[in-house]
Amino acid sequence: MKRFLIVLPLLVSSVYAVELNTQMQTYMAKLKATAKSENPKFTNFDYARGEEIFTSKHIGKRGKLVSCTSCHTTNLRQKGENINTGKIMDPLSPLANAKSMSSVKKVKKWLRRNFRDVYNRLGTAQEKGDVITYIINAK
Amino acid sequence: MKKSIIITGLMLGFIAATYVVNASESYENKGSKGSKGSEYMGYSKSSKGMKYTVSPANDPLYKAECASCHFAYQPGLLPSKSWKKMMQAKELENHFGTDASLEEEDRVALAKYLEKNASDKVKSRLGQKIARSIPKNSTPLAISKTKYFQHEHDEIPKRLIEQKEVKSIANCIACHTTADKGFYGERDIKIPNYGRWDD
Repeated sequence: MKRFLIVLPLLVSSVYAVELNTQMQTYMAKLKATAKSENPKFTNFDYARGEEIFTSKHIGKRGKLVSCTSCHTTNLRQKGENINTGKIMDPLSPLANAKSMSSVKKVKKWLRRNFRDVYNRLGTAQEKGDVITYIINAK
Repeated sequence: MKKSIIITGLMLGFIAATYVVNASESYENKGSKGSKGSEYMGYSKSSKGMKYTVSPANDPLYKAECASCHFAYQPGLLPSKSWKKMMQAKELENHFGTDASLEEEDRVALAKYLEKNASDKVKSRLGQKIARSIPKNSTPLAISKTKYFQHEHDEIPKRLIEQKEVKSIANCIACHTTADKGFYGERDIKIPNYGRWDD
């Protein structure tokens, strides 16, 4: 039993290159459970699917072709720029910005807003987990 | 222990910053140019600086939530009816073409802050000028759609507004270098790739 308790956190953290804090790990576990319930074939979140979600272009809320990279750029360790207002934003990668991906409240808010801005709809649990997996691992 | 030292440091820093803002405000209040000393809404009427001044936006939640995407427009730039409409949940889902939806508790707190400090609640010369240019039956959400704003900006060439350093007429701080302090006076205008603007 004791050994199991030591091994368990190691297993969980090894999935992600950047170790998410406890609240984010709990959030990811919830997303995973929902993704499984929505898709019986689902096994785990996937970096490549996340990259596709992040970099592909879609007709967004404004009726224009945009992607997440329109503001965040393709280098997540760089600062981004809001394409509408010009406001500079901190890097998304936790490798460059320790605050990023550390607050479940903020992550939920931005996933909701930005899926609507870029995809003109909300993201599914699988999509959210995939794109977070990409963001925290992107080099 | 370490955490409490950091928090104390942050608090001291914030208090210091507040002092700096207040100090520069009172400097502006004295209005060096052509002050006749007459009072208007508690301000010196003919002070050239005050004419374009509004109370700064200091609310930490407002700065964190709203100013993460755009310039922190001072609440005194619009009347409370405008903020009330803008901060409705449905309205925020399509906020100038972008989803700006908030957690309910934050939405309520921000709406309260904005309405409480609106131009009809905290008086300022600039806020009054904008407010007076808004027809009774209209509730503008964009400051840039008000008559007074448009009148003040109508001579600026389109290319200077659309250039990448400015992007849009809504980007106050791109040219009004002290806009974040609530000062929109002419002497602080510096348009990128153009320079000072003398009307």
